Amino acid sequence: MMKGVACMVGLSVAVSLAGCSFGMSYRQEGDQGSINLGAGVGEPAPAPSVDRSVPPEVGPPPGVTFPDQVRFTLDNGLRVVLVERHQVPVVAVRLLIPGGGGAVEPHQAGLAVLAADMLDEGTTTRSAMEIAEGVERLGASLGSFAGWDASVVSLRVVKPRLEGAFEILADVIMNPSFPQEELERVRREQLDRILQSMDEPRALADNAFVNVLFGEEHAYGQPLSGTRESVGALTREAVADFYRDRYVANNSILIVVGDIDEEEIRELLNGTLAAWRRGIPRSFARPGTPDLRSAAVYVVDKPDAAQSEIRVGRIGVDRGTEDYFGLTVLNTVLGGSFTSRLNMKLREEKGYTYGAGSFFDMRVWEGPFVARSGVQSEVTDSAVVEFLGEIRRIGEEEIPEEELTRGRNYLALRLPQQFESVSDIASRLSELLLYGLPDDFYDVYVDRVLETEAAGIRALAERYLDPEEMVIVVAGDRATIEEPLRRLGIGEVVILPGPERDQGS
Amino acid sequence: MKRMALALSLALWAPGTLFAQAEEEMDVYIPYTQFTLDNGLNVIVHQDRSIPVVSVNLWYQVGSKNELPGRTGFAHLFEHIMFEGSANVPEGDFDDHLESAGGVNNGSTSPDRTNYWENLPSNALELALWLEADRMGWLLDSMDQTKLDVQRDVVKNERRQSYENRPYGLAFETILEAAYPPDHPYHWPVIGSMEDLSAATLEDVSDFFRTYYAPNNASLCISGNVSVSGARDLVEKYFADIPRGPEIPGVEYPDPAFSEDRVLVLEDEVQLPRLYMMWHSPAVLSEGDAEMELLASALAGGRSSRLYRRLVYEEQVAQDVSAFQDGGEIGGAFYIIATAKPEVDLDVLEAAIRQEVESAAYSGVRDEELERARNGVETAFVGMLERVGGFGGKADLLNRYHFQAGNPGFVRRDLARYRDATVAGLGEVARVHLIGRGSVVLSVVPRGREDLAARKDQ
Repeated sequence: MMKGVACMVGLSVAVSLAGCSFGMSYRQEGDQGSINLGAGVGEPAPAPSVDRSVPPEVGPPPGVTFPDQVRFTLDNGLRVVLVERHQVPVVAVRLLIPGGGGAVEPHQAGLAVLAADMLDEGTTTRSAMEIAEGVERLGASLGSFAGWDASVVSLRVVKPRLEGAFEILADVIMNPSFPQEELERVRREQLDRILQSMDEPRALADNAFVNVLFGEEHAYGQPLSGTRESVGALTREAVADFYRDRYVANNSILIVVGDIDEEEIRELLNGTLAAWRRGIPRSFARPGTPDLRSAAVYVVDKPDAAQSEIRVGRIGVDRGTEDYFGLTVLNTVLGGSFTSRLNMKLREEKGYTYGAGSFFDMRVWEGPFVARSGVQSEVTDSAVVEFLGEIRRIGEEEIPEEELTRGRNYLALRLPQQFESVSDIASRLSELLLYGLPDDFYDVYVDRVLETEAAGIRALAERYLDPEEMVIVVAGDRATIEEPLRRLGIGEVVILPGPERDQGS
Repeated sequence: MKRMALALSLALWAPGTLFAQAEEEMDVYIPYTQFTLDNGLNVIVHQDRSIPVVSVNLWYQVGSKNELPGRTGFAHLFEHIMFEGSANVPEGDFDDHLESAGGVNNGSTSPDRTNYWENLPSNALELALWLEADRMGWLLDSMDQTKLDVQRDVVKNERRQSYENRPYGLAFETILEAAYPPDHPYHWPVIGSMEDLSAATLEDVSDFFRTYYAPNNASLCISGNVSVSGARDLVEKYFADIPRGPEIPGVEYPDPAFSEDRVLVLEDEVQLPRLYMMWHSPAVLSEGDAEMELLASALAGGRSSRLYRRLVYEEQVAQDVSAFQDGGEIGGAFYIIATAKPEVDLDVLEAAIRQEVESAAYSGVRDEELERARNGVETAFVGMLERVGGFGGKADLLNRYHFQAGNPGFVRRDLARYRDATVAGLGEVARVHLIGRGSVVLSVVPRGREDLAARKDQ
């Protein structure tokens, strides 16, 4: 649907490009699903004189073969997956460690993020600056971050400079030392980012939404990067423990994509990650699912905000759900493409917003379903009505065949584009491996998408998208929006306390 | 299967040697075919059979710089109107067609140009060409006041989201106003002013379209799983009938140079003060442009850069710092931007930044700084060749080089600009452009905290 905010800063070569000062792109940021395809490239047939009044025939899509994977496991249990791609001399390496923010106790929210950030802040043989110098001098990028389901260490480098970069990657994975001084600096940075997010209307809405939905006892009810309180309390010991309990060879998966072959990667591993220690990865218990909330409207005050950020949703499904394909198609029609119902209604028909959408965040455990948009403050109440209306409608009436076909095609036919760059492929593999999806997942994707049917999808909507069970959170100017929201009569209007804005970290 | 020609000579590279050889081995090259239709449309075709996708990328050589004071925001507004339907594509059908075929699309407007692209399975190439040709040739047939009004509202929403409702959202607009005189085309932001947009009549907008959205002002690039002859046939079929437009007016502009610093302060809903510094700099691809980009990288690109190391890592007075060279067609802008830690006075950041800039100008940058910057550029170039289309992919590059350099195949020479840069060259551009020239110094501070602004006594 809504496309990347790729602002063009003048027309200079994309070197550093920290800012996007001048360019405006047509669609705002969105998220997509991924897809699959067949074989054989067709030549377009020579055409007679053109009749512009009818769209040209599109014909059958060409197929694509999913690139071969080579898989092997080292003696220390590290699983390695390799996909060769030699068009461009670049290599992407991604280490997946199961267990991200979801594996953290709520009172330690932000720990997975902090631990990941600390990996390249010093090893037993290199200081933080030496790591940075080493990586950057090779023109490479090394990153470590945590999501909800996994922690990731990634490397991207051109082929001629791979060896030196890989050595540094292995060092930060195997030998981080978590220097106290660096920890304090990094913690302060994390705290200041949290401070900054207090002015971001989207962050306010997101944080309040998950907190209402999941409550205080569930990891998902906290911001991934934590709160000022939780991050302030983290210790070096906590970080080191998290690392020790999770970052072990036999728990991890190394994904390698690009201009490299099996022999080369084995050789690289021999001198490096082959020596990584085994361990007993700590398991983390599945948290209890909070009770379903009844409909209510929660407001976070952002005085004088020009827009309200609206979140409408409920707890959804996990990635292993048997309803994956039906829900993905359902969501595409509801709010997962530019022509989706939510976007068309709120942006094009009503003119309330630059963009609206929805998605099921399918994690290791049930993540949220959320429909969202930033709308002009004066129309906040009307927008909420439209959200609920569309959510209700898709559960009450079957999606007409033409609209459903478009949704299915949009998912099914876009698959080759999801495998274009080495980073794309690494992402697809990450999903496959982290969630233990069947090996033929992408091969059957198209068929599974195309065989979804209107009746089945309506039943899913009825089951998962009951408007009566939706929680509504709005971050906006309370003075403007509170009364109109109350008059909607949806339920109680609850004013949530705003974030504390005390200065200093 | 013909692969994109990317010559890679495996020079001897010793592991552990962090100082790689200056004469690099990697070549960048995008093979293409180019031809021009009678109506002036420039066409470029690049074949890449590695995935069954094709990208259609259209550049119109019109941006906000072609607007006039009092009539700003048109180019960007048109980016929206272009999706509202044309003679043979009823309103709303554009995206329906594309999504049904598994296509994604977007567009963007900058001061210098407007660009539209579609990425689709290669069997749908003709569909994309039909859509683009129809709106190039027959958009006005279906344009009316209602559509103009609706899209004006969408643009206002976009403005709220991207500018007013975003921390620091008004910074760049404020800097442009101060850095360029009111009759300079870079003075106004791409989105234009709300007053100008509200005042625009249907006739105004139609005239703008007739002048600039014509084949003789456009370049069409098709990149991906196509045959050159097949693509050519389809382009002729759909675009040959579109009449040539009028001569494109040139853009006039005064010299924007100024010698005294321009000091500004904005209060905003922000927690951390942020300092923006901007200098006029070389235009894109002109002398000094590549050096300025490399200088930006040396100063603030990565954690081992001068400013990051000093401000973020050692002194811990900044949360982040960045620098970039923004080369446009009629002039460039060089930025250094630093976000302060809470309660840090922006004078502290400005002083440190100017010190490092002077040091680079008079003592020069070190060999390893240049090497790091250059290697980063190489990685970026190689990365751009991974995609056939979208923003920054090969189709985009080919069109960009055609407009900026008059040669779609410029990529090799472009990379050479960076490889040929020297430490002395970087020092010189720093001296010429950043020392003894006026700069815009903008402080964005939390409400009521002007005490944290830079140069508060001025």
